[in-house]
Amino acid sequence: MQCERARELLSPYLDGELSAEERRAVAAHLEGCRACSVEVNDFRRIGATLAEAGREPAPKALSARVRANLAREAEAQPTPITVLAAKPVRAGASHLLRGLMRQAAVIAAACVLSALATWWTMGTLGQQQRLEQDVLAAHVRSLLQDSPIQVASSDAHTVKPWFAGRADFSPEVKDLAGEGFPLVGGRLDYVGGRRVGAVVYKRRLHLINVFMWPSANPGEAAPRLVTRKGYNLLTWSRGGIDFWAISDLNAGDLAQLQTLL
Amino acid sequence: MSSLPQFEVLALPCMEAAFNLAIWLVRSRPDAEDIVQEAYLRAFRAFGGFRGGDIRPWLLAIVRNTAYRWLSNRRRSGTVISLEEAFADGSGQNADDLAADEPTVEERLIGAAERDYVRRALAELPPAFREVLVLREIEDLSYRDIAEVTGVPVGTVMSRLSRGRGELRKVLTRLMDKDEPNAM
Repeated sequence: MQCERARELLSPYLDGELSAEERRAVAAHLEGCRACSVEVNDFRRIGATLAEAGREPAPKALSARVRANLAREAEAQPTPITVLAAKPVRAGASHLLRGLMRQAAVIAAACVLSALATWWTMGTLGQQQRLEQDVLAAHVRSLLQDSPIQVASSDAHTVKPWFAGRADFSPEVKDLAGEGFPLVGGRLDYVGGRRVGAVVYKRRLHLINVFMWPSANPGEAAPRLVTRKGYNLLTWSRGGIDFWAISDLNAGDLAQLQTLL
Repeated sequence: MSSLPQFEVLALPCMEAAFNLAIWLVRSRPDAEDIVQEAYLRAFRAFGGFRGGDIRPWLLAIVRNTAYRWLSNRRRSGTVISLEEAFADGSGQNADDLAADEPTVEERLIGAAERDYVRRALAELPPAFREVLVLREIEDLSYRDIAEVTGVPVGTVMSRLSRGRGELRKVLTRLMDKDEPNAM
């Protein structure tokens, strides 16, 4: 391969966007060409520096402002209002009475439904908030200790078997060093009144705890993000397991980890 | 029924990426904040048209459009020199590539100044190069996603990244030469 052609391919070579054949050809060229290998090393180094130091962190208050704007916008959107039957009343007292009774029944039913919905929502919310508190506490506790892990290994095949016999399920442990989330290790923790698995990953200097336990409800739940005391908590359910990922890492990177797990 | 909760779950985790793209495009913190707020409102209004899948490229395309609209307004108002103009003055003087015996950029990029140099160099690039580099190197988007954000074909993304990396390296060399003319 000539230098000129190789240079055109250096960038997609670094980005993993070449076919296997092209990739081999570029790699072979780099073996023998100092100028091109200097260039590709520079690109790699500059790229790594950008990845590490290029991000401009969003101000903490921005998220709250965006959410406030969105809430106002959602409120301003016209929502269909259900009007209780307002048919013209025909002559006859019994007719009128029956109509009133029916309306009263509808209103009573609506009241009961609303009360039930409130009770259910409050119950679920309270439970959810307690879990958030527990997850946050477990995360902070892990940071305060000398080591956040009981089994230290960057190898998923060491960490996963460690849980066997210690937890009543097999937590998801993945080797994500290639994606920028090196595995640190695992430990057991106590969240929501039960023993849970905690798998620890790293992103640059940020520590991420991923808590897992068997789900109470079958079915999947889409990821949901909350922020507590400056930490991002992302929770989702998949394959009968509830996941809680928590870190001081930015929400975008945390969401990326979610897609990888 | 508004789909606000659904929108928030998908879109809020992208806020760091949205802000990062906005600030690299307009180079002003308060303006980037305004742009993110406006872009999120626009995205929410257009959420019905989101076809599912990864929301990031879809959302970042809206952030990018909002930023460019803002940039063109600023240029029309004529109070600020655009980055392209600033770049046009300084570029082209160091068009020659590094001679093979000179220390490589890698060898010189050691020490605390490294990050600062790279950031300054990126800020000097024209927006078309800057945005693909931000999306690729910082946000780690695939070529296909970058194509969706910037509204150009994948082939164009590839050539812009190629040229962008070359330009970035060139500007970096120039900045370092200027600061350390006697560097060995």
